[in-house]
Amino acid sequence: MTDPSTDIPPPVPVLRVQQPADMPDRGLKLDADAVVIGSGAGGAVAAYELSRAGAKVVVLEAGPYVKSQQFTERLIEAFHTLYEEGGNQVNKSGDLVVLQGKCVGGSTVVNAAVCFRAPDKVLEAWGEDHGLDDLSPEAMALYFERVEKNLRIHPNGPHEINLNGRLIMEGAKRVGIPAAPVSRNIAHCALTGHCLSGCKTDRKQSMLVTYLPWASELGATILSGTRAETFEVTNGRVTQVNAVATDASGSTKPVAVKAGLVVVAAGAVQTPLLFQKNAIGNSSGLIGRNFACHPSTAMIAVHKDDIYGWLGATITTYAGNIEDPKEGSFLLEAGFLGPMSLTTGSGGGVGREYTDFIQKSNRFLAAVTLIHDHNVGRVYMENGRKRIDYDLDDRDFPSLQEAFRNAAKIYFAAGAERVFLPTTRRTVIESPDQIDSVINSLENGKHLYKLASYHPQGTMRMGKDPKKSVVGPDGRMHDLDNVYVVDASLFPTTLLVNPQETIYAMASYLSDRMLARA
Amino acid sequence: MLPACDGSPPPTHTEAARLSPNERMIFERFAEVYIPTEGTNLRPLSEVPYLDNIDRILAFLDAPTLDEFHTGMKLFDYGSFVVGLYFARFANLSPEDRLEYIRRWYAGGETQRAIVGLIDKLVALGYWQDVEAARRVGYQGPVSDEAKILKLGNAPMPIAIAEDIEAP
Repeated sequence: MTDPSTDIPPPVPVLRVQQPADMPDRGLKLDADAVVIGSGAGGAVAAYELSRAGAKVVVLEAGPYVKSQQFTERLIEAFHTLYEEGGNQVNKSGDLVVLQGKCVGGSTVVNAAVCFRAPDKVLEAWGEDHGLDDLSPEAMALYFERVEKNLRIHPNGPHEINLNGRLIMEGAKRVGIPAAPVSRNIAHCALTGHCLSGCKTDRKQSMLVTYLPWASELGATILSGTRAETFEVTNGRVTQVNAVATDASGSTKPVAVKAGLVVVAAGAVQTPLLFQKNAIGNSSGLIGRNFACHPSTAMIAVHKDDIYGWLGATITTYAGNIEDPKEGSFLLEAGFLGPMSLTTGSGGGVGREYTDFIQKSNRFLAAVTLIHDHNVGRVYMENGRKRIDYDLDDRDFPSLQEAFRNAAKIYFAAGAERVFLPTTRRTVIESPDQIDSVINSLENGKHLYKLASYHPQGTMRMGKDPKKSVVGPDGRMHDLDNVYVVDASLFPTTLLVNPQETIYAMASYLSDRMLARA
Repeated sequence: MLPACDGSPPPTHTEAARLSPNERMIFERFAEVYIPTEGTNLRPLSEVPYLDNIDRILAFLDAPTLDEFHTGMKLFDYGSFVVGLYFARFANLSPEDRLEYIRRWYAGGETQRAIVGLIDKLVALGYWQDVEAARRVGYQGPVSDEAKILKLGNAPMPIAIAEDIEAP
């Protein structure tokens, strides 16, 4: 942004991150007004908003600080350096990959930049069913506007929508399914299609190039490679967070932060584990429960023409009724990341049938399917191992079938020759008249579908009733007077749509609640 | 791996993650029939270091998960004495029998599907992470450095717009 009176560009804020190697061997003892655990969508926004109000803020990030110039645009290397468990985090059954960023900036660094506001119907249901009347669509609209402006969130323009996205949008309209360009937090997209490996040229407005440098510029201290481990609690208040910083050689240094305010934003998997480990804040017994994740598949069809779906923006258009998520609701997002992405879902078969399939990659129509799943999962530790106990519920299986059914209809309407279902065994729909018979014959079960999740949610449920929730309507934990949670673990139900914009807006809203109480 | 994590926690690589010679052979025999590159435009398996790539992926798994992986590989290799009654290890089967055996496991019980699905995924990950292999099907791979696309850097500080939000 340029000051119109002078045309002199404002100074660019600098992100200063203290890495473990920079810390003295004895570690660090810090005093702050607020300690923020996690630097992703929730933590970064809270760190900035609190810093903007004059608070002295320390951010603890367990993952490494990887500068964007070090991104390689190779997905496997990104998995290894930027993702939780090197991209190998799976559910207990092992048939669903749960992808989360683990780096400074969190999942915002490695997501596809897709932004939706939480559907009004979802916010209204949160009010009716969970006592979250303050999160009305009208109240939250102001916060959505705030983050949309700050993160340059806008619908994809025609130049950002490739042939894959256009065909899927046109096909959807032909079969009567609402469709439109997706909005993204991006500035001057270079259309490389490498969002999931981190944006090498800083076009994606992730926390790495926005709220974190802004917080840093306002004085926030940001520590990478520093995992929060234990809390010291006095009279229902956390008075100190103890963390461990681990350097490249594996040696560790203790970090202790005394603060009057504790903001936890480690994500819907790590946040509940932290409280379970410390055995605090759980009078409801619900910490770690109500996990949900928008189980997703990559659904492919072979088109008659060349498409080169990987050229251009990562995700371009969507199809589905997102205004009123309910049983059976689904969302399709047009995008294809190339053959590497099909290792988590293709249904292309084995042997010659696979090589015939994969050699047609340039003709693939491709979309990610998401469903509005129930909160049936649980996150916990078992014999020292993290467990994500989540399997596709029988109540949600019809939603998956509806996603497949409608994607197939859209693909054929868009000119597809055949549709491949994301099943572990090869399942092909050769013509529109086979759609219902093939999809109706599918069964729910483990290791039958190639599933991935990008949106873990729900494990620190927000609500008015302390017996039915962990966190109150103002983001403060029912059992801990000065501890707030500001990540997707708050969501009482899933959104159906990508959650990042809602996390940004909620973090902004909850930061105002923190400041009002300070 | 990127040399990107200076001063940050390293991934948990362990020697225990290394594939045994027998497991390498199982993966080779699997890949030969899963991605038969002969007579196609695909990059020959022999030119892709997919086994080393798989090794690097496994190095991120914790010890109990690795133990389960090693057990699963043995079950798959020797399961051919029972599943399909081939009376030989998977690694010693003919290509036709290997393909048939793999399909039997996809159609089998939950544990069978889990094991064959994991092997399938690792082979695909090991193969397709090779940039040249991906380029054979038209995928462009990394582009920003080659195209010298300008970095934009950090976004400027936002202009305050909080006036429209009433203080709580």
